Amino acid sequence: MTRITVQGIGVFGGFGTGVQAFVHALESRPVPPSVQPIPTGHGPMDLAAFRADLTPLEALVPARTLRRMDSFSKMALLGAHLALTDAGIEPANQAGLGLIIASGFGATTTTTYALLDSIARDGDVCTSPIHFANSMHNTCAANISLQIGATGPNLTVSQFHLSVPSALLTARQWLLEGRVERVLFGAVDELSDLIGYLWLRQRGEVNHGPMRPLATGEESAIPGEGAAFFVLSARDEATPGYCTLENVSTGRRPGLVKGDSELLILGADGRREFGAAYAAAAEGAEVACFTPHYGSMPPGPAFDMAAAALMLREKRAFASPEHSTCDFRASLLSPGAPITVDRMTCLTLACEQGFGRIELGRL
Amino acid sequence: MNQTEPVAITGLGCICAAGDTVDACMEALFRGDRAPAPPVRFRTTHPNPFPVFEIKGFADRPGLLRTSALGLQAAHEALADAGLNQDALDGLRVGVCVGTTVGSAMNDEAFCRAYRAGEDPDLAPIDCILSSNPADVIAREFGFTGPCQTVVNACSSGTDVIGLGASWIASDICDLVVVGGADELGRITYNGFIALKIADETPCKPFDAHRKGLNLGEGAAILILESERSRHQRQCKARAFMLGYGSACDAYHQTAPKPDGEGLKRAIAEALACHDTPASAVAFVNAHGTGTPDNDRVESHALASVLPGVPFFSTKGYTGHTLGAAGAIEAVFTVACLEQGRIPGNAGFTTPDPTLGALPVCEPMNVAGTIALSESLAFGGNNAVVLLGRGERS
Repeated sequence: MTRITVQGIGVFGGFGTGVQAFVHALESRPVPPSVQPIPTGHGPMDLAAFRADLTPLEALVPARTLRRMDSFSKMALLGAHLALTDAGIEPANQAGLGLIIASGFGATTTTTYALLDSIARDGDVCTSPIHFANSMHNTCAANISLQIGATGPNLTVSQFHLSVPSALLTARQWLLEGRVERVLFGAVDELSDLIGYLWLRQRGEVNHGPMRPLATGEESAIPGEGAAFFVLSARDEATPGYCTLENVSTGRRPGLVKGDSELLILGADGRREFGAAYAAAAEGAEVACFTPHYGSMPPGPAFDMAAAALMLREKRAFASPEHSTCDFRASLLSPGAPITVDRMTCLTLACEQGFGRIELGRL
Repeated sequence: MNQTEPVAITGLGCICAAGDTVDACMEALFRGDRAPAPPVRFRTTHPNPFPVFEIKGFADRPGLLRTSALGLQAAHEALADAGLNQDALDGLRVGVCVGTTVGSAMNDEAFCRAYRAGEDPDLAPIDCILSSNPADVIAREFGFTGPCQTVVNACSSGTDVIGLGASWIASDICDLVVVGGADELGRITYNGFIALKIADETPCKPFDAHRKGLNLGEGAAILILESERSRHQRQCKARAFMLGYGSACDAYHQTAPKPDGEGLKRAIAEALACHDTPASAVAFVNAHGTGTPDNDRVESHALASVLPGVPFFSTKGYTGHTLGAAGAIEAVFTVACLEQGRIPGNAGFTTPDPTLGALPVCEPMNVAGTIALSESLAFGGNNAVVLLGRGERS
């Protein structure tokens, strides 16, 4: 059986940029969300959110390369650079590298504003070709492949909050089939004004923090944005990497999704409608939950995966923020305690009994 | 690349401007019917409206994007074609993998326009988008519990999904995978392709010397991929076999293919290698053939290079370019052509272009082989190819 390892991680979000910033966050209390004014029909409304900072990209990619790139592609490009660099791989001339992007909503800023504005303002004949090209879901995958010379298979998947396990299933298949030896896998979503507005309309009250996802009867979600990228390899690599990718499964399961792994990383993100299902799945299990560090967003399971990979490599536990509010019977990881389990499962639950399970193993 | 076992295709469904069933489409193709016309479903302020291939008389479903409703209609036809009713489906591990471009975009124009004007518009259009993920819609309709994947790889999506779904069968993740593509016509894509100056203001002419671009179309196609265990239990004959899938990226330009066609050649080579198929075994190619100057030039030279002398054609002259659905629609046509032992003429082609590497077939012709290729090129530099073999029903 082919062994798949996680060789590199590139993460950024409300907690900061890079693996070290992520580790620092996991060792600390979550940073408070920032406040973003969102245009509404009643004037701007403040939305608490975990926003990402794209400034670090300027040190990695020439300004002229970024000139025509929208924020969604820039986010993905930053994640890609961070993961490749973390894996010790030059972000250039990556012939044969497979690339898979998972995104819940795609380039919503470009689609909703730049492209539609160009049509609304000046009529059909003035539609912007650049904004149209940038509005495609796979535009960020195209930009990454152009920048790093990735000529292997290239795929973008959009399955809302199950985008990550769904796309990761294919990444694993490509590696097992020998279609490619390495896959750059990334999850990315931006918190555009539109997404922020829909959050306000659909969820009502704004939580200014903290998120309490283990208080499953409570609504405490805070939206986030960011990217989590991974270099997955089926090669015998020179460096050991973080962990193994053991299995990925996703689908709809009527009834209870019980965790059968040694440790469950819960994707619970403070959205009350999923609280009871997470509590039922985690009842009696050893669990951890890190979403208060990055917020509620479709790439969330990829951040869960990054946290699990770090715990497996460093063999020590990170604390689940707000663990004292847990309202179901479970054993929560003690911060700093040695990790003795060989496998962890990142569990995501979604509407209509959707689920995703990402199983990672110790090297 | 490990060699893979063939995966049976046991059902087909299709709806597009050429017809609302697979049989109706094939009859139209061999009759040479095509009727592009200015769009009716949306208004345009272009002084001379560009023609499109619109589906007439299709009843949209309230609360669902037209894209997903089209996908559902094709799925119903394909499952019935495979002899799968709800009783037969119960207990099977069924996955869904669907390609689209429009079906996942948060771009309801009226909603966004009102929001940008400072209003608080009704959320119904957004709720419609959020409940219309094309793969989810099919899974929900039939109660499938396997993996769901909506592929948004631009115009290669409908070909990619066939390769991805076959992988789920080969790995025993699923007993059955519903794969395909769906896309509706819309004002934004219509304006976008015109803005890129790759749309033709007359009926499209793939591979013709006077080609000026594509005509957009809409539609959906679904193929049922089934494990050997499942179809043997049901004693179901295959309509075709999925023999290979190749995919490669140009990493050259966001909207234009690489001039040397190197990515497409690698995708073809990979698809052939999956089943150790020699190029000489390929009876015909259902080409991407959009009618844009760049695509057709690159594609013809790549085909001349790696599949010299193999007959090829584009069916976009009958359907328009249906974007995320195109690869699936063309794979369905390819299977039907293998069954019938004949291929249609390349609609719109009349004048040979001396700069092309090869020329398409002009008129319907009989073909004797049992293996064919269907290929797609896409924005982002994606190239996807599926290798299909004749089944047991013909």
